[in-house]
Amino acid sequence: MRTTNMTSPATRALAIAGALLIPALMNAQVDRSKAPAPGPAPAVNVGGHDTFLLPNGMRVIVVENHKLPLVGVQVRFDIDPVLQGDKAGYQDLMGELLASGTVRRTKQRIDEQVDALGATLSTSNDGLYASSLKKNFPKLMELVQEVVKFASFPDDEFQKARTRMQSAVRTRVDDPDQIADAVARALIYGKSHPYGEVVTEESLAKVERGHVIAYYQRFFRPEKGYIVFVGDIGREEARVMCEQYFGAWKGAEIASTTENGVEVVQGLGPIVVGGSVPRPDPERLVCFVDRPGSAQSVIKFCSAVPLRPNAPDAMPAQVMNTILGGGVFNARLMQNLREDKAYTYGAYSSLSPDRRIGSWTGGCSVRNAVTDSAVAQIILEMKRMQEEPVTDAELALAKSYMAGSFARSLEDPGTLARFALNTYLNELKPDHYATYLQRLDTIGTDAVQQAAMRYLRPDNCFVLVVGDKAEVANKLAGYSLMNAVVFYDVDGDLYKEEFEPAPPGLTAKDVVEAHVRAIGGRSAIAAVKDMERSYAATVQGMEVVLTEHHKAPDSYALDMRMGPMTLQKLVYAGGRGYRQDMEGRVELNDIELADARESSHPFPEAHYAELDYEMLLGGIVTIDGKRTYRVQFNKENGVFTEYYDVETGLKVRRSEPEETAQGRIEVVTDYSDYREVGGVKVPYAIRQNAGMDMRFTATDIKVNQGVDASLFRLD
Amino acid sequence: MIRTNASLLTLTTAMTTMTATAQLRPIAFTEFDLPNGLHVILHEDHSTPIVAVSVMYHVGSKDEDPKRRGFAHFFEHLLFEGSENIGRGEFARYVEKAGGVLNANTNGDRTYYYEVLPSNQLELGLWLESERMLHARVDNKGIETQREVVKEERRQRYENQPYGGILLEVLDRAYTKHPYKWPTIGFMEDLNAASEADYQRFYKTFYVPNNAVLVVAGDIHAGKAKELVSAYFGGIPKGGEVPRTKVVEPPMKAEVRDVVYDRIQLPAVVMAYRIPAYGTKDFYAVDMLNRLLSNGNSSRLNTEVKDKQQKALFVGSFSLPFEHPGLAIAFGIANMGVAPDSLEQAMDAVIRRTREEVISEAELAKLKAQVETEFVTGNSRLEGIAESLASARTFLGATERMNDELDQYLSVTAQDLQRVAKEYFVPTNRVVLHYLPMSQKKN
Repeated sequence: MRTTNMTSPATRALAIAGALLIPALMNAQVDRSKAPAPGPAPAVNVGGHDTFLLPNGMRVIVVENHKLPLVGVQVRFDIDPVLQGDKAGYQDLMGELLASGTVRRTKQRIDEQVDALGATLSTSNDGLYASSLKKNFPKLMELVQEVVKFASFPDDEFQKARTRMQSAVRTRVDDPDQIADAVARALIYGKSHPYGEVVTEESLAKVERGHVIAYYQRFFRPEKGYIVFVGDIGREEARVMCEQYFGAWKGAEIASTTENGVEVVQGLGPIVVGGSVPRPDPERLVCFVDRPGSAQSVIKFCSAVPLRPNAPDAMPAQVMNTILGGGVFNARLMQNLREDKAYTYGAYSSLSPDRRIGSWTGGCSVRNAVTDSAVAQIILEMKRMQEEPVTDAELALAKSYMAGSFARSLEDPGTLARFALNTYLNELKPDHYATYLQRLDTIGTDAVQQAAMRYLRPDNCFVLVVGDKAEVANKLAGYSLMNAVVFYDVDGDLYKEEFEPAPPGLTAKDVVEAHVRAIGGRSAIAAVKDMERSYAATVQGMEVVLTEHHKAPDSYALDMRMGPMTLQKLVYAGGRGYRQDMEGRVELNDIELADARESSHPFPEAHYAELDYEMLLGGIVTIDGKRTYRVQFNKENGVFTEYYDVETGLKVRRSEPEETAQGRIEVVTDYSDYREVGGVKVPYAIRQNAGMDMRFTATDIKVNQGVDASLFRLD
Repeated sequence: MIRTNASLLTLTTAMTTMTATAQLRPIAFTEFDLPNGLHVILHEDHSTPIVAVSVMYHVGSKDEDPKRRGFAHFFEHLLFEGSENIGRGEFARYVEKAGGVLNANTNGDRTYYYEVLPSNQLELGLWLESERMLHARVDNKGIETQREVVKEERRQRYENQPYGGILLEVLDRAYTKHPYKWPTIGFMEDLNAASEADYQRFYKTFYVPNNAVLVVAGDIHAGKAKELVSAYFGGIPKGGEVPRTKVVEPPMKAEVRDVVYDRIQLPAVVMAYRIPAYGTKDFYAVDMLNRLLSNGNSSRLNTEVKDKQQKALFVGSFSLPFEHPGLAIAFGIANMGVAPDSLEQAMDAVIRRTREEVISEAELAKLKAQVETEFVTGNSRLEGIAESLASARTFLGATERMNDELDQYLSVTAQDLQRVAKEYFVPTNRVVLHYLPMSQKKN
């Protein structure tokens, strides 16, 4: 047994050292006032890969890493983008169904075996990825090769997958981000380009199992194939597996002919690669997809850009995008729209190079009220990237961030495999990744500004907004260089109002007459000799009062005031009139006179015929849950649309375009809460939206109580 | 922060992989306490020249004043605003200028901050996190800005997303008095009411070293790291005893059933069962049961409901690993033309079978193979390892439990699965929600 000798010199020395050491640590003086300096930069080693060709042309890539007992394999085919046309969706279905049966195994059997190995297997239309623990990998590889070479696409699985995909497409309309993605692609590439096609329930209905099989057989071919291994596997092991499973593979026999230089595959049709070149971007255009009730607007600026992954300026272009909005928190979009203005949870931009045609997108989700302000700030930030060089500090931060991301990405051995595959697919220089950090280091502010000039299109892009049309669309026209918002549906087609047909024989005139009857009838209307009505609304905390006076046959005065201040005044009598606002008094021009003539009638619907309005009955549409007849009116200087309740006959909405300083906007006025006053029915609630939502409530309505004639004096 | 994780739903995947991270080869670590109560865990791994620095504070939305729901998460946003020595906006700038990334997330039980940096910037990470713990500071502009940012986060993640409100609706009905009843993201009106005094009190009470775990993982030398940690964190004063919520949710006695309308086209069915707390023996059995139901294409809900009966476009089942008793949630979106009742019956039949039959050895072996792979894969990134270490210490009581968690799963027997199915996956212990399209709402 040993006892501790407290007086032994060694123990004492230790005790003294310990006593000194611990307080020394606790009291170590660190200068908190500034960030500590970094140590010497660690070397970043970009590892390599092994590669070889199989006799049939397949390229094998092996990235060996024994840190964890895991192996992953990717089988990938280099497939050209092919236009799907009216059967859009067959390529996705092929990817979905790839592991749904082989000539030897059912889907159920494959699923059970993958799960029993504790493995993952995921498929897409250009190949598959599978991984498992090393001990289970040989069995997994057996399944993988069978799926790649002998997929059978059983009919019952095809039917099931198509129904599921149709259901998924239907849910797309619920998700503003998915809508924005699909519509943005349709806008920038056009629907006649494979990148711009949108899969719909209808297009899926046209897909047949034969299309799926023909596509698989045509494009899963060894000469375009890559097999990539990552993880706990050596080159030799990989080579043996590949030779055994893929060495003799030749791909399916394809029956195809060439017509007018285009390949036509039996069972699939013409193989149109790439499609038409996307049209040049128009002048900046605001495109809107209505998603009623949205709590936010999804804003997505987008344009197609000619950026290939191997372009000499691909890297400065990425630095440029990083500074603008590419992932760093210090990016300009994030700092401006989130940290300064608090419009959004996050604002980003993304620049995607592509072998054929790349894209740039930028945007954010913002509350309805600041949608227009956010659009303005994004335009401003895009222009600022072009008009002035970025600061040295911004450039340094972006470069450090990109260098750091590069180093961090190497933590995952899959990164090296991705590098290798990219090098082949995108025809990069063999040392592209090995020289990444060096090349990044040399980029200067001028190269960044040049990239901004080349790849940002602040005046030639689409500004897509998915949101609540009634709340936000009108405020956006001014951001279109053509001063108008263009409406699209969720599939990226121009919006067309859907309606059910009106009953046969019914005319627009009948619909308007039904309204006239519903409010009291022509004789009751004719008995109204004068009328005064006042409505009040609260706008930004202030009360606005609107008062109208009518006196038969043709005198009219409108007065809108906020407190004691008159915002607008209009007087019309006997074919002449003037308006007065804060800027002074102006005589009415011909267009305004025509409008005033209509307004001079307290119930203009009874006079549409004599006003020479052409009326067209559209059909039945639903507004706020009510079925209404939609009637379009063509007048001398324009058009407007009204909606009449099918059940009650009453007018519920008028929608009319108006040119304003903010561009052409749609003024939407809703009428409700009709009440009888002096034998006629008058709407007590009026909601008008012309960029701002105003809800007026009647405060005073008088019929035939006498109106002071001096109100209508024109001198 | 940038993508703050206030969502419990996304949390599940994160937390199951992250806490479930024992491995074939155990994760090596050393640990020590500073006199101020800060628990420190070091993990050395030189394969990539990077380092993760993270702090887990044992405070989440369940610790909130019921009149300040959402405060813990709001507070997390505020703690990126700066400190005595770090100006507004500079926190992220220091990290990104150094080539690093940073983020944070909050859930019902804890708030977690991290940076991943080049390994020569370890000291920067320690300085930033110690500043945050010692004397964080936020000005009025910061408070007002983040209040709006959090509101936008709520709109973006919950209000403007189809099915986005499901978890909020489930929690509200699954709990009657426990603070898990409210979502981590909170409510706008409570955030509006939050004041300077709330901020001070919360910081002093919960953001103290004795309520935190610091993890430093990666290309470090443990001895040097320990010195630096002591230098930066040693001087931070110890806080008082940290209060913990004592609310105990009474057991459910009867099924709660409701209908929720949303802007969706296809109905969804949600069944939420009350389950035991994370880390208990039964939790692991329940979690295995969820894998039986929905992990992989051959899982029971996928085969039966999605594949054979074609009633669902998507179906899944997962557990919420809460510090106090949590939930297992089964969720399905109906295929076109399938009524929610029909989908519910199909899901219910699958769950009933787990009560009525013991599963086969082959099926149990499959679950074990899956969980084994998951554990190995889950430990492939430093950032994940750091979080697993912090969670094991915070919620399992000891860091080394991270390394025996796989055994917890592997020791679950077929009989355990049936037993927990009978005990927890029963109608009287659940909330059933039908999520229906707004157009089906009768006024």
